[in-house]
Amino acid sequence: MMNRRKFLGMTGRSAATLGLANLMPRTLLGADNGFSDYKCLVNIFLFGGNDSFNLLAPTSDAEYNVYAASRQNLAIARSDLLTITPDNPDGASYGYHPAAGALQSLFESGDSALIANVGPLIEPVTKSQYLEGSVVLPPQLFSHNDQQAQWQSLKGTSSLATGWGGRVADLFTANTSGQLIALNTSTFGTNLFQAGAVSIPYTVSTTGANTYGAFDSDAALATERRAAFETYLDSSFENVHARALAAVHKRSLASADLVNQALALAPVLSTVFPPSFLGAQLNIIARLIAVRDQFQMCRQMFFAGAGGFDTHDDQNELQPGLLGDVADSIQAFQLAMLELGVNDKVVSFTQSDFGRTLTSNGDGTDHGWGGHQIVTGGPVLGRKIYGQMPILEIGGNDDATGGRIIPTTAADQYAATLAQWFGVESPDLGMIAPNIANFGAVNLGFL
Amino acid sequence: MLISVSLFLLSACSGGGDSSSSTPTAPAPSTPAPTTPSTPTPVPPLVPPPTETDISVAEGARFLRQASFGLADGDVEALQAIGYEAWIDAQITAPASSQLLHLVSLPEPENNFEGQSNRLEAFFLHALKNDDQLRQRMAFALSEIMVVSDDGILFNAPGGLASYYDMLSSFAFGNFRELMEAVTLHPAMGVYLSMLGNEKPDLARNIRPDENYARELLQLFTIGLVELNLDGTPRLDTNGQMIPTFNQSIVEGFAHVNTGWTFAGSPSFSNPRFNFVMPMQAFADFHDSGEKRLLNGVVLPAGQTPEQDLEDALDNIFQHSNIAPFVSRRLIQRFTSANPSPAYVERVATIFNDNGSGARGDLGAVVKAILLDQEARSASVGGEGGKLVEPLLRLVALWRAFDAAAADGRYWYPQPNIAFAQAPLRSPSVFNFFSPDYAPAGELSSLGLVSPEMQITNETTTASVNNFLSFSIYIRNSSATNLNERAIKINIAPYLILASDTDKLIERIAEKLLGGVISDELRAQAVTMINTIPQDQPAFRVTEAIHVIASSVEFALIE
Repeated sequence: MMNRRKFLGMTGRSAATLGLANLMPRTLLGADNGFSDYKCLVNIFLFGGNDSFNLLAPTSDAEYNVYAASRQNLAIARSDLLTITPDNPDGASYGYHPAAGALQSLFESGDSALIANVGPLIEPVTKSQYLEGSVVLPPQLFSHNDQQAQWQSLKGTSSLATGWGGRVADLFTANTSGQLIALNTSTFGTNLFQAGAVSIPYTVSTTGANTYGAFDSDAALATERRAAFETYLDSSFENVHARALAAVHKRSLASADLVNQALALAPVLSTVFPPSFLGAQLNIIARLIAVRDQFQMCRQMFFAGAGGFDTHDDQNELQPGLLGDVADSIQAFQLAMLELGVNDKVVSFTQSDFGRTLTSNGDGTDHGWGGHQIVTGGPVLGRKIYGQMPILEIGGNDDATGGRIIPTTAADQYAATLAQWFGVESPDLGMIAPNIANFGAVNLGFL
Repeated sequence: MLISVSLFLLSACSGGGDSSSSTPTAPAPSTPAPTTPSTPTPVPPLVPPPTETDISVAEGARFLRQASFGLADGDVEALQAIGYEAWIDAQITAPASSQLLHLVSLPEPENNFEGQSNRLEAFFLHALKNDDQLRQRMAFALSEIMVVSDDGILFNAPGGLASYYDMLSSFAFGNFRELMEAVTLHPAMGVYLSMLGNEKPDLARNIRPDENYARELLQLFTIGLVELNLDGTPRLDTNGQMIPTFNQSIVEGFAHVNTGWTFAGSPSFSNPRFNFVMPMQAFADFHDSGEKRLLNGVVLPAGQTPEQDLEDALDNIFQHSNIAPFVSRRLIQRFTSANPSPAYVERVATIFNDNGSGARGDLGAVVKAILLDQEARSASVGGEGGKLVEPLLRLVALWRAFDAAAADGRYWYPQPNIAFAQAPLRSPSVFNFFSPDYAPAGELSSLGLVSPEMQITNETTTASVNNFLSFSIYIRNSSATNLNERAIKINIAPYLILASDTDKLIERIAEKLLGGVISDELRAQAVTMINTIPQDQPAFRVTEAIHVIASSVEFALIE
């Protein structure tokens, strides 16, 4: 049976084999003493492109009228919007979608903040610059997979194949070498966000680690069978695809028992999570956080996901369920963090492909660009809107064309702020957020 | 518009397939008697009879693992008798299986199409028992390129999805331009990517045409995002940058083309009447009458009918130089190689552009070129060649090799996505279960190689896939008792007579699953395990041998 030392030794060998030493950041080669505290980031990715201009909409007269004129049959009735009272008012007033009452109360209690009109950018862009084509733009704007990749990797025009969460894990390899499971864990399967050059993310299901039934202790010959399989997996497979598959088998076998034994010790949470896939993911994430000491974790990132946000059709019917699930799941997670006493150590944040067009296609919206994101947790300087609210006017100053809003805050700035709280230092920020030097503020101040 | 019922006409199967000649798909009415260990059936000879071709068992098995759903008894011998090309030709002319016909063949109340279970059953039944193997593999491949899914609104339209799959089967060896049109007008696609009900602009209400289908038709189904050379590599501009194939205004041009269509037979555009089988119908009053800017500077004139606009727009895409390398590479990845060489892509793309008789888009010629190419047939593909077998197809290959069947003759496995992270027409989005460009971090990525199936291969799924294989071998086999009549069981009876001879048993199981090509390490693992089991437990020894090989890395790899 593969033990931890063998597992870590394997990881080290593979890094060396790949000749990555020259690419390693300085902290990885140094002798840092690791972290004395625990911090955790939870990425909640809303797949399909969340229409966040209906998640939070203006309620003041002038701004609401502009919004309603643009949105037409997709506008939320003003009287239905759930008003918030930011500590940093910008002159207008705003309210959450009626299904997102949980986000309204998190905002009002100071546990949550809203980052306004953020999106992938390589450098700041004005409308005239966009129309002239005089600045470099992220390639393939308005394409789902390309913009998901931008949010997760911040690759810009480069061919970077790692995600910014993966690069943070690479950076912290030495500081987190005592951790018994990977810094990055996903409840939503494989993702670019957590892909590193050296670090390898780990996946769990919503019930914990999947084990191999044929090797379970109640199966006949379980011990012999596992040993024979592990010997086979140590073969020098000649084919690169075979090596990749064998490596996943090995990682799965190496961590599953450890994870499940730890989870068995997790306290029973009284917090009730929504009966959705997202709720179930945040539930297992909360349980893994609860047993973090079993894994000697000091830095941890999770990736959760929810689908269905590509509301080209039936938006008015679909949005309450989508936004309600996100709001209720984030609130339950926040309550679980309070219950576990780790509220000051954990931050959840949303990402999504893009915002959506202000214009309607009759009963839905199409692919846009900028949009709002939600950050929640004890460390968040909440009850504030960070960045600049866009003018929601078709043909207005923030409208690239067709109601696609140009971001005024970069996804790199958003990531850099999260990464700095997590412990990334200024000299390394450019490796995490490659376009950050093109923007004035490297920290948006919400943490 | 929410689709909440699955009402459709069966009188007209869309897609042009000759349904009258389709293979009947009703399951065998009689219950096969379980074979007991005491009366093993004769073992087929290990050495095949003399053949007319010089195809070895290993070579033939490799070809069939690429081109079919696995190695059923007699498959390799049948291929050896006629050779690769004749086998493909026979497959091209074999009648198509029909999922819709399977649905209507079921007894009450199952033939009312509630839920997706019977549609899934049709997939397994056809993959396991029917002769149009290459056609069904092609339909499966196309279903992962031109994606519709029951994960979402189409959950309530199983007949529509069965009809869509039948349409893919019908056009599997047909012309790609006709396939594009059948896909575009199929109501399942119309609902899935919201071209159905897409109306012309209305500036007073800030309404402009829905861009969903327009974008994905270009980006995912036909030409992709960047200009390609014939060999599939990106064309670069003078600054060394890739060249986008289209911009937002072209998406909008196609979105305007795609206006005015809804369910066939609807009384009016705004009063759609469900019909998930007939191609969509246009209502000219709801079609945008203006000019439309398309690819390569083509502008459609104002005032055309919806049908004429659509014909012209699909022709515009079909004539784009990307379509041959784009489609060719995706199809190669589904059959033979995750990373085909540029020369391989170019050879196939050349056939796509001209099948030798001047026809463009002949998919039968394309799939033949893919399977007969030297890169697919040469003895060694090198350490970077080949591909992973899709997880679900590993189960199908296991079942096919061991003639899996349930006592009631059904193939009831409605939720394969839980263990295998995939199921026919059940992708989480139009981007399929995995991307053609997916490369896991690490060695593959650093070598610049992709391995699409690795996107659904993680610590969670390696265990769940292996668990279902274990269950299908140890628990559900012909020697097991107390199984319900719906349990799909592999037939291990023919191999019990070999159980006492470890080497012969391994040789035979390796032949069944791998065409006899087995690594020394895997053989050693099998020897160790089988020898752990006493001689008086023949069924255990056989299932252990099957388990070792079916859960191996080499069973998950096609070289």
